[in-house]
Amino acid sequence: MLKYAVKRFALAALILFVAVTAMFLMIRAVPGDPVQIMLGPRATPELQAALTAKLALDQPIWKQLLIFYGNMLQGDLGIDVFSERPVTEIVFQQLPHTLQLIFAAILWSALLGIGLGAYAAAHPNTLIDRFAAALSVSFVAAPAFVVALLSLLVFAVQLKWFPAIGVGEGLGDKLYHLVLPAFAIGLSWVGYIARLVRASMLEVMGENHIRTARAFGLSENRIVMVYALRIAILPVVTVIGVGIGFLLSAAVFAEIVFARPGLGKLVIDSITTRNYPIVMGSVLVSTALFVVSTAIADLVNAWLDPRARDSV
Amino acid sequence: MANSRSELGTIIRGVARDPLGLSGLIIVGMIVLSALLASWITPYDPVAINIKDRMQGPSLTHLLGTDQLGRDTFSRVIMGGQVALKVALPAVFGAMAIGLTLGMLAGYGPKWLDNFLILIFDTIRSFPTVMFALAVVALVGPSLQTVVFVVMATSIPTYGRVARTQTLTLRNSEFILAERSMGASMARILGVHMLPNIIGVLAVLAAMDIPTVIALEAGLSFLGLGVKPPTPSWGALLKDGYALIRQTPWLVVGGGLPIIFATLGFTFLGESLRDVIDPKLRKNR
Repeated sequence: MLKYAVKRFALAALILFVAVTAMFLMIRAVPGDPVQIMLGPRATPELQAALTAKLALDQPIWKQLLIFYGNMLQGDLGIDVFSERPVTEIVFQQLPHTLQLIFAAILWSALLGIGLGAYAAAHPNTLIDRFAAALSVSFVAAPAFVVALLSLLVFAVQLKWFPAIGVGEGLGDKLYHLVLPAFAIGLSWVGYIARLVRASMLEVMGENHIRTARAFGLSENRIVMVYALRIAILPVVTVIGVGIGFLLSAAVFAEIVFARPGLGKLVIDSITTRNYPIVMGSVLVSTALFVVSTAIADLVNAWLDPRARDSV
Repeated sequence: MANSRSELGTIIRGVARDPLGLSGLIIVGMIVLSALLASWITPYDPVAINIKDRMQGPSLTHLLGTDQLGRDTFSRVIMGGQVALKVALPAVFGAMAIGLTLGMLAGYGPKWLDNFLILIFDTIRSFPTVMFALAVVALVGPSLQTVVFVVMATSIPTYGRVARTQTLTLRNSEFILAERSMGASMARILGVHMLPNIIGVLAVLAAMDIPTVIALEAGLSFLGLGVKPPTPSWGALLKDGYALIRQTPWLVVGGGLPIIFATLGFTFLGESLRDVIDPKLRKNR
């Protein structure tokens, strides 16, 4: 297990290294002088020279890359040109908002999805099972940002049940503001998780220990809820790990639609103002988040199922 | 695979027999048809500005109302379907072709090449899709080509991974070993013997991938980072509708429902295609 963990994290580090290097080179390969873009057309030559030296843009590219990695390992992702604050500070200020949204979405969609899937598996081929299956497919079909827009239109603008913009003040109000965005980006996961749980549930229900539990005369409900679900729930753990990356993408849209602060809003605003250090910093942090969460999901999976340990 | 035409006929008949597949076929057929005939069936010019009739609600003259510039929403929705397919089809087929080639090379070629390609695939997949798209758009600027490129780059690894796995399983099967011992070239083995056995699975993947691509295009256009105005894209409709959500909510509905509709159609089609082409993949449904 330890060997697997070391190998898996080494792989994650390698992937991150390639990804960051590729992104760094991509930014440098873009035509146009970044200094001129940042400072605008009316900057004096002295000002341009000063910024060029400050960003080490006059050095050869491999040296720039080394400097970049050196700074990054010290938690320094550069300075925001406009506010002159460290990029790391700005990004990590926005990150909690995005994480709250993602976790709220995971929480409600996993709870409902597991419930729906377990119920469908316990009553296969009934009307409710069919209904749940159709619902799953339809839920999966709806892209998060479309759901976000439509729910904004219906529940916030027309019915005025929920606030349309912002994050709110205080715990209750914050949760109230979370409802619609979390609903929008979690919806497609309900169907996905429900299908997953149903399939793995049906598999588990055929196993010996369930037959034994039946032979002991335990009630069907108890068998499903206590003995089968506990095992059937395992694949969901892995899916949630991978899901964080997808939810990050969805969260970008939810933040724009509901005008919430967060990583997505930060990136979009920075793109409009051509604030490259911020764009790069946010993409970097979100990529790292994705890589690490996938690695952790793989580790949890390997811990639960030793057969998965051979696959690095 | 002796007669590929009758094979295709069997597949289509199989899909049409399944209610899910049939509804998928009908929806996809409708979208493709309306996209092909878009120039003839749009009641108004989708980009013609008519300030006098701006922000009108749905009526008999304008089925889905008009936007803030007086453009007919219904015409823009129809034309938007064409734009969506123009992005989705080249992107998906391009990604499939490249992914297939790289995947087969990874599965059949030397070990170092396999390791290298896998690392590249995993790296691309390690970017959250939208974040990657945003980074690229920020660098090279928004356009239709950028969207196609981003979509291709992000989905090549999926096809590559699947093609690789399939190639690895086939690699040591007896008919390939026989072919190799007779001295067949690598190109012949991959192109003539492996390809027909892999392409089916990839076709299913492609059908399921199209909605993702359509959603990504619409999403980028919604953020103002995809197809440029005044090109009518479903995402652009949503963008206009979102900006004036209290005045012209029908734009949000007109842009949003086609996306959900298209996603449903292609997903149904893909699921049914999977059951027909590869029953082994079928889950307990």
